[in-house]
Amino acid sequence: MTSTTLPQSFDEAELANLITSTLNLDTAAAEIDPDAPLHGEGLGLDSIDMLEISLVVAQRYGVKLRADDENNQSIFKSLRTLSAHIQAHRASA
Amino acid sequence: MSGRSSPAGAQEWVARPERGSLASIKIGVWIALRLGRRLGQLFLYPVCLYFLFSSPAALRASRDYLGRALGQRAGWRDCYRHFLIFGSCVLDRVFLLNEQDHWFDITVTGDDLLRQIDQQGGGCLLFGAHFGSFEAARTVRRRYRDLPVSLLMYEENAKKIRAALGAINPRLETEVIGLGRLDSLIAVAERLRAGHFVGVLADRNPDGRDMVRLPFLGTEAAFPQGPFKVAMMLGRPVVMMAGLYHGKGRYEVRFELLAPAHERRPANPKAWMDETMRLYVAKLEALCREAPHNWFNFYEFWA
Repeated sequence: MTSTTLPQSFDEAELANLITSTLNLDTAAAEIDPDAPLHGEGLGLDSIDMLEISLVVAQRYGVKLRADDENNQSIFKSLRTLSAHIQAHRASA
Repeated sequence: MSGRSSPAGAQEWVARPERGSLASIKIGVWIALRLGRRLGQLFLYPVCLYFLFSSPAALRASRDYLGRALGQRAGWRDCYRHFLIFGSCVLDRVFLLNEQDHWFDITVTGDDLLRQIDQQGGGCLLFGAHFGSFEAARTVRRRYRDLPVSLLMYEENAKKIRAALGAINPRLETEVIGLGRLDSLIAVAERLRAGHFVGVLADRNPDGRDMVRLPFLGTEAAFPQGPFKVAMMLGRPVVMMAGLYHGKGRYEVRFELLAPAHERRPANPKAWMDETMRLYVAKLEALCREAPHNWFNFYEFWA
């Protein structure tokens, strides 16, 4: 899987840093595969972690992650999809 | 993170097959509503006696717990009473959820606290336990206005409860938030902002993650930190909630403040969580001493 994965973009690296520092993850930010699932097998994040992420994302980017968003399954899929969603909805973008 | 260990005790009740399928719940509800509460109660005696003999694990857990709560060795009569009180609360659920309050004498203390929180705007977290009757506590909403109440629970339970609630009273299904999705707690945050009261049974965690051991009825037992972490992050008031069943249709519902709201995160989040948990467990212990047969964790809690 790693051989076919593209490296993190600038925005993805920034988000990865934010996530690892907020959640005190053992994984280094740069080592997060941008296409690996956030849930389960990949990073193993749970709904408490996601609440924490939603709070810091709102603070840092001014983007509100909403529970009633029908696309959440795809938004929360990976670092890449989450970062893309945030960049698309940034207040100051 | 995914490699965190799960104590066997907490897993046990998840693995144990549910007694009765959805069809039998529907039949049971139908019969109960036609018989009425008084006749339904009569059925509990043989049914609970049957379960007393056919569920050795639950009986062992009951005896172990009662020994601690009563401060003396529990005999089979104590355990039978324990099973009967549990059965009564389960049966009464059907009547309470169908708003047949006339069967009951329900007294409430501390509901002015809820009124205050409601008037200030923004909801609160209601921390209960598998203790007494949550449904009796829920009737408070009908007393002064239709307060929106949601229930947060583990996904597997949420599925079952949603189906069971739907069988009892279809309006109730949407009130259950399952924890099975990554955005489950974002939903909780949104509902709190909209003024919902969100109930959490904070004494169990089936996946056994993030457990903290605290002294409880004489020996340390594991309690989940998750609910307290969520409360710390969301900053809404945390209210302890219990619906004690005293027998003969008498319920006593209590609300007590565990932690007031905070605008900013506490300077020391760990200390805040520890203190709120300690208070929760201490209050739970006091409830167990006061109304011992209301404890409904029929598995090895002190594993």
